[in-house]
Amino acid sequence: MTTPFTSNGMRRGFIAGQPFGVGVFVYGIAFGLLAVQIRFSLLEGTLMSVLVYSGSAQLAVVNGLPGGALSLSSSALSALLATIFLLNARYLLYGAALRPWLGQVPAWQAYPTLAVLGDGNWILSMKQAANGERDAGYVMGSGLASFLPWIGGTVLGMLGGNLIANPRLLALDFMLIAFCAAMATSMVKGRTDLAIVAVAGGVALVADALLPQGWPIVAAGLAGALLVWVRFKPEPTP
Amino acid sequence: MTLRPDFLWLVLLVGAVAFACRAGGFLLMRFIPASPRLEAALRATPLAVMVGIVAPAAAHGGVPELLALAVIIGLARLGANDVVSALAGVAVVAVTRSYAGL
Repeated sequence: MTTPFTSNGMRRGFIAGQPFGVGVFVYGIAFGLLAVQIRFSLLEGTLMSVLVYSGSAQLAVVNGLPGGALSLSSSALSALLATIFLLNARYLLYGAALRPWLGQVPAWQAYPTLAVLGDGNWILSMKQAANGERDAGYVMGSGLASFLPWIGGTVLGMLGGNLIANPRLLALDFMLIAFCAAMATSMVKGRTDLAIVAVAGGVALVADALLPQGWPIVAAGLAGALLVWVRFKPEPTP
Repeated sequence: MTLRPDFLWLVLLVGAVAFACRAGGFLLMRFIPASPRLEAALRATPLAVMVGIVAPAAAHGGVPELLALAVIIGLARLGANDVVSALAGVAVVAVTRSYAGL
């Protein structure tokens, strides 16, 4: 079976990713406002959103540059880069899980797709893959549905366009959580799935209480994968 | 429209680390032989990751968030479309927060 990468797949992914795009757009605005405050130029702030594309990582950089100063000691710089790595470590897992699918298309399509990978579009794509989707364009389309609003929001925020005074009131911070809860619930079909939920949930709560930001998702994902690895029996394939 | 050289270096470094995370797992899996067992384990990650996103949010959540999660899970169990369930939950949070003045 071949794996296509079509504009039709991209369009379907782009449409399916819209709910996430709204939330990301508002956070892009928030980052843009912050970037102006520490005196990033419009070009600098936009470049950062394009090249880094990670809200938590960009916030860590901004917080790590007191007063917008760029002269970091090498130890401060390596600590900052280590933080960025931890904040994005879950993407290692996301990319690994995409290998059986995205590995079927040429590298010049796979790596740009990975460059716009986000939480929402990865979850959406993996769910779609479980339902039989083969078109790898879906991954890039749903990725762009969040990447483009992130850039647009950054630019708007830096130009002073604070559309939404308090994003909490529109509950946009809850968007990703809401989709995860809905999709996780509809993905639970058997006892193995329930076991994954129980183990991943327990591990996530422990990691949340004990470890820094970024770890609970990685720990939960690894725990779920490990559970299935250990319990795997080759014979009964559904 | 300025671009400070120091800034460019910093953003390239940070961007490289972020991209290494996005591409690293995918690249690494190229050298690990595929097996049904490994693919089954990888297929389990989305559900586990979603739980890993929801569980801490539930633990930190107040009344709006917990009420919304109950609504979402209830709707999804009844077979509602994912988008419908999720947006209903977002609406519950928005309405409850605005009434509670949170």
